[in-house]
Parts: sequence; structure tokens; C-alpha cells
Amino acid sequence: MGEYSTDAGAETFQFEFDGQNISAQAGQSVAAALMQAGHRCLRIDEFGTPKGAFCGIGFCWECRCVIDGVSNERACMTPARPGMVVQRQMGLE
Amino acid sequence: MMGGHVVIVGAGPAGMSAAISVAEAGCRVTVLDEAARPGGQIFRQAAPELKAPSYATEAEQRRKAALLADFASLGKAITYVAQAQVISAFAGPEIQYVADDATHTLNPDAVILATGVREKLFPFEGWTLPGVLGAGGAQSILKAQNVLPGKRIVIAGAGPLPMVVAAQMTRAGADVLALAQLHHVLSMGSNPLALLAGRASVLEGLGYLSTVLRARIPQLTGYVPIRAEGDTQLKSVVLAKLDAQGQVIGGSQRRVETDVLALNYGFVANAELATMMGVDLRFDEFSGWHPVIDDEGRTSDPSVFACGDTAGLRGSYVAQAEGHIVGAAAAEQVLGQAAKTGQNSLVQARKARAQQLKFQSTLRHTLKLPDGVWGISTPDTIICRCEGVRKAEILGALEHGHRSVNAIKRNTRCGMGWCNGRSCLHSVSALASQATGEPPQTPMTPRPVARPVTLGELANAPGYEVPDDH
Repeated sequence: MGEYSTDAGAETFQFEFDGQNISAQAGQSVAAALMQAGHRCLRIDEFGTPKGAFCGIGFCWECRCVIDGVSNERACMTPARPGMVVQRQMGLE
Repeated sequence: MMGGHVVIVGAGPAGMSAAISVAEAGCRVTVLDEAARPGGQIFRQAAPELKAPSYATEAEQRRKAALLADFASLGKAITYVAQAQVISAFAGPEIQYVADDATHTLNPDAVILATGVREKLFPFEGWTLPGVLGAGGAQSILKAQNVLPGKRIVIAGAGPLPMVVAAQMTRAGADVLALAQLHHVLSMGSNPLALLAGRASVLEGLGYLSTVLRARIPQLTGYVPIRAEGDTQLKSVVLAKLDAQGQVIGGSQRRVETDVLALNYGFVANAELATMMGVDLRFDEFSGWHPVIDDEGRTSDPSVFACGDTAGLRGSYVAQAEGHIVGAAAAEQVLGQAAKTGQNSLVQARKARAQQLKFQSTLRHTLKLPDGVWGISTPDTIICRCEGVRKAEILGALEHGHRSVNAIKRNTRCGMGWCNGRSCLHSVSALASQATGEPPQTPMTPRPVARPVTLGELANAPGYEVPDDH
């Protein structure tokens, strides 16, 4: 269980972020599960600037990362799923 | 069923209550919502399987539950499309949206824009670091994901939202290390008559204030962030006090080590679709560019209506009451006759809106930003986050005579990235106004597509036929 989560008894499962196992609760977004695990940097943009969730509601696209091989997926809008493979997005990947 | 089809964009308090009103009048209603569930930002719902608790006041929870129940009870009369991205809107009216990996076109009799607002921040050194985020965004993450964005949180901003977020984060177990507000929270209560008019909101606010006081959250009045520090994510923030002109007072800097810096300095209307549809707009410092409406939500185009914050920031109580009024007006126009029932509730909604507007006017001054905040950024500070455009480039374009936001955009690429200018436009506009000494003259021209979508989604347009002359 994550460090900052208030455990409400939802079902939990694991997914992968850059080779690490991350715990998520059913119904959580990828960004939320990663925040819970203390990972806030989700991308290094094409200018070398580290980026993470910024607007939290989907309009800024700053939290985009590589999810199951597809780049530019918004971590804040994508529900976490068991076994999902998430990677920090590097540059114009 | 009678004829007439109304499309509503957005499913917050304004959009939901407009939909209820239109459906009750006997029109067909389609609600296009970018979220997975109705509620908008303030009434955002977590996925049911998450079993997330609520950190809002009981009064807010009751309002939310009642409106969502009314909306759901009309489920047969309202076509609700979740996760719909509206990519273009034209006079006619014509609306294109992407949902389920395909592009759909609607030609309704009327459109109601209830697209709400987004958060306003000002740029400063390091504000792109992961861990710096909108306070409303942080609140959404708590509300919809049941996750704190971090254990240690500094909250800064103007208006009532930072205090609400500080209270909710505290209730959820965060250590709120500082609440830095431009104006002291008690400055909202200067007009007793207005407080009486807005007593429901005042009571909700007092509930949050009591949490902030009981938790002994350090309140830094007049302080703003001037620098965020960290390597790949935020480690500390430097806050400093501003003088009456908005200049940093030398020696007032304080460094606070934190995981998260949550900021809100007001809001900007989501007016891209209104602008694309060509309706008359106006600019004000509290909402940015937004459609001009009459008392019943009519814009300069008879088939386009707007309601709630997107037509000028006035809060969720006004939005909900106005949605009701504007929904009835749109239905009346489409059907060519006033609804036979529901006139009493319309009178109530008009009264509620008028009362809340009195209260909202007293909150206004707490959202006023001193000009100096736009000067906190350095020449090297990134203004356009998507395209990595720095302040020096914007100022350079201004020096070369590119005075409008559109000219600056063409010359620097600011506003041309993934967010379509939603994160930087207001900053570019403020920098331009300061350099030229003139108020904003025109909004940035929004072009289809209004949201990033894939070519596959665009090409997959069932039922769309290319006109013969093309």
C-alpha cells in the first residue's frame, strides 16, 4: 500500500514503471498510482526539462508517458491496469 | 416526443442543470463530456470501485449528490457521452467530437457551451518541475483518485480555493507546511450584506477555515513562490513577500522543503469553442476572454448559448442556477414555445443566481493579481511549457513589434504545442499588455482540432460524406 493513500479497501494490483513494481488501487489513474509511490517525474521533454502531472485534469498534456509501448498517453487520464508497462517518456520518443 | 435537439458541451454544475432543464422541456439532449463520469471539476466523481471517501463539507456533498441524482434520473431523455473530446465547433451550429476512436459530427438546433474554466498560474523559475501543480488539479487527484499528490505540501494562491485545498489535504492526512495567500482569508468578509446573501458558501468556507486553524497551518499572507528548486522533481520552494505594487520585498525570502507546491491564482474561461464559433467575446481580468451572454445565456449567435463559469467566473452556485435558466431558454427557442411546467423553479433559479452574484462580487478583489507577479519570472524562465519558449523570446518578439498574442505565437511558437496555449496564453497576454500598456485586444485564434487526437481517430468518421464539390 502506498505511503500517502488513505486505504478505503479497494482492490489492489501491480503494474510496472521503468522496471519497478508499482501498487495501484482499482479505479486509480497511472499518474495517481505513481504519485502514491513517490514518482512525480514522468517525462523528460525534448528540451531536457523534467515534467510531471501539472493540471491534473487532462488539458496540459505534461504527464504524457509511454504506456504498453504507446507514447504520448496521458498518465492522469489513463486508468491503471494490472500488468501494465509504463515508461518515462524521453524527448520526442 | 417533440422535435428539437440541443447539444451541451460539459457536464459540471452548469452543463448538468442545463441538460435537466432542456430534457424536461421535451427536447432531445446530447451532453458531450471529456471526463469519464459527470460532475465537472467541482463535482468530480471517483471511479466507484475505488470507494474513495469525500473530504468536502457535508453541504457540498449534498449538493453534488442531489444534482447527480437528478441528472441520472433523466438518463433516458439525456444522451450522455463520456470521454468525448470536442475538436471543432462552427456556426450552423456544427460540432465535431472524438469518442470511442472515431470522429462524430452533430448538427443540432442549438448548442449550450458549459465548458467551465481552467486554473491560472504565473510563471516563475522552476515552475516546470514535477511536483509543482495546480491546486485545483491536486484537489481533483485527491477527490477522484484518493491519493495525496505528496506527503508534504505547500499551497499558494489567491481567492478562496487555496484555503479549501489546504483543509481537504489536511483532512486526508497531508502535512500542509504553508498556506501562502496573496490576500488574507478574512478580507473576503468585508461586506456583511453580501455575506448574508452567500451564507451557504460562507458556511462551507468557515468549515474549511476551522480545519486550517485547528491544524495550525502557517499562513503567509502576501507571499508568493519566486523559485522552485530540485533536480528531476521538486525539493524546495522559495516564497517571498510582495509589497503593495507587487514587487518582491528584499530579505523576505523563505525556503521551504516540500514534495508538492500546489498553486491557484484564479481561472481562465475555456472559451476556445465559443471563439471558434465566432460569437462576441469580452475580456476581464478574472475570467480572460469569454463569450458575452444575456440574462438567459444567449450569445451573439442565436443558436449558441453559454452558461456557468465559461461565460465569466462566478462560481458553482451561479453555474447550477444559470444552467437551469439557460437550458429553459434554449429549449424555448428550439421548440418555439415556453415550457408549460417548471416556471416556479425558474423563478427560484433566477433568485438564487441574483443572490449568489451579490456574494461573488465581494470575492472578486481577493482574486486581483498585482502587475508585479508577471515580473517574478526571469528572462530564462519557460513561459510556454510545451514548446519550451522562454520569457526573453516573448519579450524579444514584443520589442520587434509583434504586439498581439497571435503575432507573438507566430514568431515564437508559444501556444503551438500539445496544450494549444491553454497553459501559457494568459501569461503571454499579460506580458504583452505590460509591454504595450494596452489591454488585450484579441484572443489567440483557436483552430481545429481543439484537442490532440490521432490521425486514425480523425479518419474514422462513420457516416461522414465528402461534399461533391471537393
